[in-house]
Amino acid sequence: MSNKYVEMGMRSPVNLTWEVTLACNLRCNHCLSSSGEKACNELSTAEALDLVEQLHTAGVFQVNFGGGEPFIRPDFEEILAACHARGIMTCISTNGTLLTPELVARLASSPLVAIQVSLDGARRETCDAVRGDGVFDAAIAAVKLLAATKIPASINTVLTTHNASEIPAMHDLARSLGVSLRVSRFRPSGRGADNWESLRPTPTQLIDFSDWLAKSGDVRTGDSFFSLTTQERQGLGLNLCGAAKLTCCVSPTGHMYPCAFLQSDRFEAGDLRASSFQEIWDTSEIYASFRNLRIHSCEECTRFDQCHGGCPAVAWHLKNDINGGDPECLERCVTSIADNRLAEAA
Amino acid sequence: MAAAGIKLHPSCRVRQEGFGLLFYDCKGPRLLFAATGTLLPADYFGTVRARDEFPDGTSESQKPALQKFITQLLEKGFLREQ
Repeated sequence: MSNKYVEMGMRSPVNLTWEVTLACNLRCNHCLSSSGEKACNELSTAEALDLVEQLHTAGVFQVNFGGGEPFIRPDFEEILAACHARGIMTCISTNGTLLTPELVARLASSPLVAIQVSLDGARRETCDAVRGDGVFDAAIAAVKLLAATKIPASINTVLTTHNASEIPAMHDLARSLGVSLRVSRFRPSGRGADNWESLRPTPTQLIDFSDWLAKSGDVRTGDSFFSLTTQERQGLGLNLCGAAKLTCCVSPTGHMYPCAFLQSDRFEAGDLRASSFQEIWDTSEIYASFRNLRIHSCEECTRFDQCHGGCPAVAWHLKNDINGGDPECLERCVTSIADNRLAEAA
Repeated sequence: MAAAGIKLHPSCRVRQEGFGLLFYDCKGPRLLFAATGTLLPADYFGTVRARDEFPDGTSESQKPALQKFITQLLEKGFLREQ
């Protein structure tokens, strides 16, 4: 990753997360947006289609759809089709429970769609404890439907203390189903904040995961784990937070944020009902502050070039300090374990 | 038989930025920042091109560097021959 060009400023995001609805038929314990009921005043179909046009004009390459459960929106396929008609690549995060053979066949008609199905354990009990009874089986059925098509499909797992030991088995499971594995970071936002202490991986689990990840080049993590990334994976992705530089988030109601984990008034960059997408991207003071963000407290760290202070969202949620450095970075995990051992020895 | 042409790989996109061209490959995903300035417009990659076909106004002295750049894009998978 060439930070020099990123710091020069992009004319628009490379990709963005668009949470098209807060409505969800599940109530996962770790949900970053506390999804469940549809939000008041979600973007209408016409507003959503107008946004697609704006994204195309801006030159956005890819839209990552999430929610909520995107397929709950009756017009979701229309929004997808509008993206594809403009050459915008799409990736959909779904819980898989609403995927039918007919729907999958329609989705497979576009070469511009990829789908991630959430699954939070290699064992039924582990997954369903987080996502609800019966979800493991439904998600596996969805993955099998997708694997029979040309749609690039993956299993998406949020790493928690309960499934950390099952990640290699999930890798095997994904392979056996003919899809890839993506592991996402658990962050303390939404219901994830409410259940943070009971679900967060321990420092030892994070280090073990980092080691395993270094040996598992085909496992994708997006920008989730650059704060834990070892030298072996440095060529595979970001080495800094891309929020407001390469990516951003659009909420179901058309508000823009730096990322999906910072959807609060404090971090609102703009309202698409009041300003255009390009105007918000170009002029938002919140975005400017993220582009100028320098985690000075981390600059002396030997790993600074590998993470640049890690995830500001985690720092905000855990330390109320966007400049505070990622509390769960690899260096701090190692230090935390060493401190605990010293304390035990004393 | 006609010489092979080059075209943007279907999984890739390109756009103009202040420094030059930004390439994106959704498989990865991965980015490539090319400090090409205004030598090559992004829409150059919108259609099949001969490997020695460059925009009008490209000087002879610029062509070797552009040919090397095209070769690198092919090697990195952002372009493909067809």
